[in-house]
Amino acid sequence: MPASPAATLPAPVLHGVDHTARPTWKLRETVHFYRDILGLPLVHAITAKGWGREKEQHADFIHFFFDAGKGALIAFFYYVGTKQPPELVVPRGYMAMANHTAWSVDTEEELLAWQKRLEMQGVTVSQSVRHEILESIYFRDPNFYPIEISRRLRDVERPDATDAELTIDAALELDATGHWTDIEQLWRTKARYVEKYRDALAESEAS
Amino acid sequence: MSGFYLLDVPEFAPLAAAALRTGKAREEKKIGCYRFIAFEDRLDIERADTGLTEAVWYGCLTAGLDGKIARFDSLRLTLVATNEPILPHA
Repeated sequence: MPASPAATLPAPVLHGVDHTARPTWKLRETVHFYRDILGLPLVHAITAKGWGREKEQHADFIHFFFDAGKGALIAFFYYVGTKQPPELVVPRGYMAMANHTAWSVDTEEELLAWQKRLEMQGVTVSQSVRHEILESIYFRDPNFYPIEISRRLRDVERPDATDAELTIDAALELDATGHWTDIEQLWRTKARYVEKYRDALAESEAS
Repeated sequence: MSGFYLLDVPEFAPLAAAALRTGKAREEKKIGCYRFIAFEDRLDIERADTGLTEAVWYGCLTAGLDGKIARFDSLRLTLVATNEPILPHA
């Protein structure tokens, strides 16, 4: 098969997060939370007349940015004179929490300091939770957007990437069947992929 | 042979240790970055013996399972040998 035109180009590289953005209909509460409670510097604000999109009836807006460290900004759009559409209300429940922002800190002391600061400011914050490579605390902003602050428990290394590739390969196989219903099916399929990885290793060692 | 794989990283090591302490499991030769903990017919692992938090416990078979889960709750993981197909409708 001929290589796609894109494959012949040098692979471009990303250099981390510039900003993420979401809408808000709580201007005062959002500014108070991010600037005053979290203490994130307000570093930029754009105000515009609907970006000129009259056909779309694009509302006039403020687009404002807070600095969350290492150049990563968190930004909001406040659409003047509009009401929040029902489909943009953050739903309750765990599925909507998948759409979240996770900031990093370097040490356990920093993580606990954030937990204490949030509690002292009246923000409901979780206990710290240790996952495989992260220890995290969780809370919500005034818009009910979920936020996580986490620290790395160890570096992500080559075996983690190898394992992730095998996991996704197994998941794609199951997903294609249309009959995948639980994680045990994935774990059993994954074992076959690890066995293929073993066979490939043995072959490369033998040659 | 039944068993489960573990990525050879610190967070899963306590699961292997607890499995081996039961006397019903043995560790096979390492495969690249994976460990394999084998058992014959059945293996019971108590979460209390692993010291794993629930956040790691409930994902502890992510590296792969040759067998079937008979019980998996916050207290215990029970694995058994199986010949059943992975997907019943496949």
